[in-house]
Amino acid sequence: MHITGWTVALAALGVVPATLTQSRGVAFGWVLAVIALALLDAWLAPPTAAVGVRRDTPASVRLTQTTRTSLLVANLGRRRIRGAVRDAWQPSAGAGDARHRFSLARGETATFRTPMTPTRRGDRHAGAVTIRTDGPLRLAGRQRSLEAPARLRVLPEFASRRHLPSRLRRLREIDGRTAVQLKGAGSEFDSLRDYVIGDDVRAIDWRGTARRGEVVVRTYRPERDRRVVVVLDCARLSAARVGDAPRLDASIEASLLLAALASRAGDRVQATAFDRVEQARAASSGPALMTELAEALATVEASLVEPDWPALVRLVGSRVSQRSLVVLLTTVDTSALDSGLIEAVAALQRHHQVLVGSVEDPELGAMIADRADADALYGAGAAARALLEREAVATRLRQLGAEVVLALPDDLAPAVCDRYLALKAAGRL
Amino acid sequence: MTARADLLTTAPGPGLRARARRGRLGIVAALVFVGILALLVVGSRTGDVVPLSTENSRAAGTRAVAQILRDHGVEVRQVDRLGQARVDDPSATTVVIANPYLLTPSQLDSVVRYPGDVVLLGSSDESLAALGVDAREAPVLLPRTVDAACADPDASAAGTAVVSDWGLVATGDSAELCFLDGDVAAFARATSAGRTVTVIASTPLVTNAQLDREGHAALAIRALGRHPDVVWYVADGFDASLLATPGSGGGEAPTEVEATPDLLPPGTGSALYALALTALVAAFWRARRFGALVAEPLPVVVRASEATRGRARLYRRARATGRSAASLRAAAALRMGRRIGVPRSEDRATLVNAIARAAGRPAQDVDRMLYGPAPADDAALLTLISELDALESEVHRP
Repeated sequence: MHITGWTVALAALGVVPATLTQSRGVAFGWVLAVIALALLDAWLAPPTAAVGVRRDTPASVRLTQTTRTSLLVANLGRRRIRGAVRDAWQPSAGAGDARHRFSLARGETATFRTPMTPTRRGDRHAGAVTIRTDGPLRLAGRQRSLEAPARLRVLPEFASRRHLPSRLRRLREIDGRTAVQLKGAGSEFDSLRDYVIGDDVRAIDWRGTARRGEVVVRTYRPERDRRVVVVLDCARLSAARVGDAPRLDASIEASLLLAALASRAGDRVQATAFDRVEQARAASSGPALMTELAEALATVEASLVEPDWPALVRLVGSRVSQRSLVVLLTTVDTSALDSGLIEAVAALQRHHQVLVGSVEDPELGAMIADRADADALYGAGAAARALLEREAVATRLRQLGAEVVLALPDDLAPAVCDRYLALKAAGRL
Repeated sequence: MTARADLLTTAPGPGLRARARRGRLGIVAALVFVGILALLVVGSRTGDVVPLSTENSRAAGTRAVAQILRDHGVEVRQVDRLGQARVDDPSATTVVIANPYLLTPSQLDSVVRYPGDVVLLGSSDESLAALGVDAREAPVLLPRTVDAACADPDASAAGTAVVSDWGLVATGDSAELCFLDGDVAAFARATSAGRTVTVIASTPLVTNAQLDREGHAALAIRALGRHPDVVWYVADGFDASLLATPGSGGGEAPTEVEATPDLLPPGTGSALYALALTALVAAFWRARRFGALVAEPLPVVVRASEATRGRARLYRRARATGRSAASLRAAAALRMGRRIGVPRSEDRATLVNAIARAAGRPAQDVDRMLYGPAPADDAALLTLISELDALESEVHRP
């Protein structure tokens, strides 16, 4: 049961007879009468069971984009029903005005659309649908809620996709397929062509020259059909916030951009999110990869456990047999010394090329540069110490032959892609 | 037209009986709660504790004397408000007023206008003067047992009594003072205008605690039981009603004085009352939620720099200037070495010389800045850091 503002207004009208008769009894009696009238009205209101609802929710939406969920309301009763519905969602689903008034004749339906701009990645769930039906006097009515489960999957924002065109251009330059006259880099033999002045003499193919009678050179192109394994560490350290978002979000951006780039470059990409066990996986080929990856990574959340690096090494070993690029998106800091990251990188590096990507904290930089007062000096000292320790770990990883990319959250995705392109150009994949 | 099958509707709610069955425990709990509440309310009605009240059975009460009077056929009636006294026949009624010092002036006037006999338990200068008793009250420091020593028959019959708390000192000769301890009396009686005013100034005389001592019982019963009716009133200072005087003004005298704010127009009170009730209705209107809140599972919020900040606090508490300086020197050397292309594996002299060349400074200076002694205090640390910053800016100069 609920009452409307009209009941309150009617109760307030009791001031007039109370003032005229100067009697509290009259005021009390008036309010009692109003309440009795409201109760009668609520009793006369159509039952909420006469209202049928159905939620139609889009399957997924990218973070920061706006979508609309619709709620169909049908009058299943015999009389006209006036009332309202509330289409409740989690606050982070960003549902706008979720209350809708309706007036439906018998058998009529209406569809209400609620705009939604989600503010968090992952699955956003709907709350109950609450139905209010008004009584004939509009004073009061019935109210009931019913569970109408619905889910909106919010995909990662992929804000780094703005870096994709420039990286694709670089890829074409490496590939030698660009309109600009640039020699294709890489190590894989592509074809023979006539020598033109300016070509590297080391590229002359003497056997072909002898056969043809003209000087010919070999052209190369980057290797294709290499395997790229992207591993997102979603354990304890990924939960820490850098700026506004957890480290994991920067890792997701990086893996999305790298997957988009590498699949265009003709490499086979698979991704896995891992803490102690595999949390999500995407291994499609072709254009389906990006959709699958976004879906898989949408619901990955950082968990407060230590990562199990030896298990990850076994997992990678079981997934790829030939030499691949293993991209570890994790956190490089002193905890890597005892968490087993270094041993894992060493083990992976034996068979594969490892690229370790780590998010740097801009706050550390600010702390190092802070000279505000004596306390800030100690902060600078502590931040410098943290920086040195991380640098030491990074050096250790580099000594193992791994590539290490340390970048601020927004720069991690392009930095990892640049390193990938450099490796590709150098033929080290 | 949409198929009805895929529409969700609220299930018809459970009937009253089902709801009662489900909420059985709640109903029982509510009943038990109400029962306990009722018990508490009833049990908390403790006995009358007002001193000198005839309902009070404690030491300071006067239930004993009222009981004895009733046994002697005297009708004792205690009233909460003076206006409820409603004496039908003043000639056959004794009005007993305890604590007369708490009477308001208008109440005292109404008592003066009253034609019948009055007994005061306790006294005040105003009441004594108004009722024509030529005496003033005086404190008694030490209780003493004294003889009646006066002509009053009641006092003589009682024989002896204890003078305590308060007494009376004569200021004229209209009143007969009895039980004198020095010149302080415990009892006084004056007759004027056809009525008798009796003052028992030492009120402990009539209390339950002392009624059985000396001749207190005799004195109290004789003084209070002169007429077949006794109206007993304990003044409390909150009551403003007046003693009704039959015959004055043709019968019913005004019994209560009610303060009415005549600044506001009539009906304001009831209008405000109506508005207050409306506010209750409005509260229900706003308080009824349109469906429940939806819970949001919130992620952990730990800033990545927490550990470093904690370490900074440790450094600060320990005044670890040496450690801070060492970290900052190493970080600066790392950055400068990277800038001018000296790998980390190179030794100290190579790095110092390279930096000295890049900054255009003597090598000893640079060596002292990067590898010198640890600063002793905050000021030295600040100096060292400023020097390092200057050096770094020179090296990084394009």
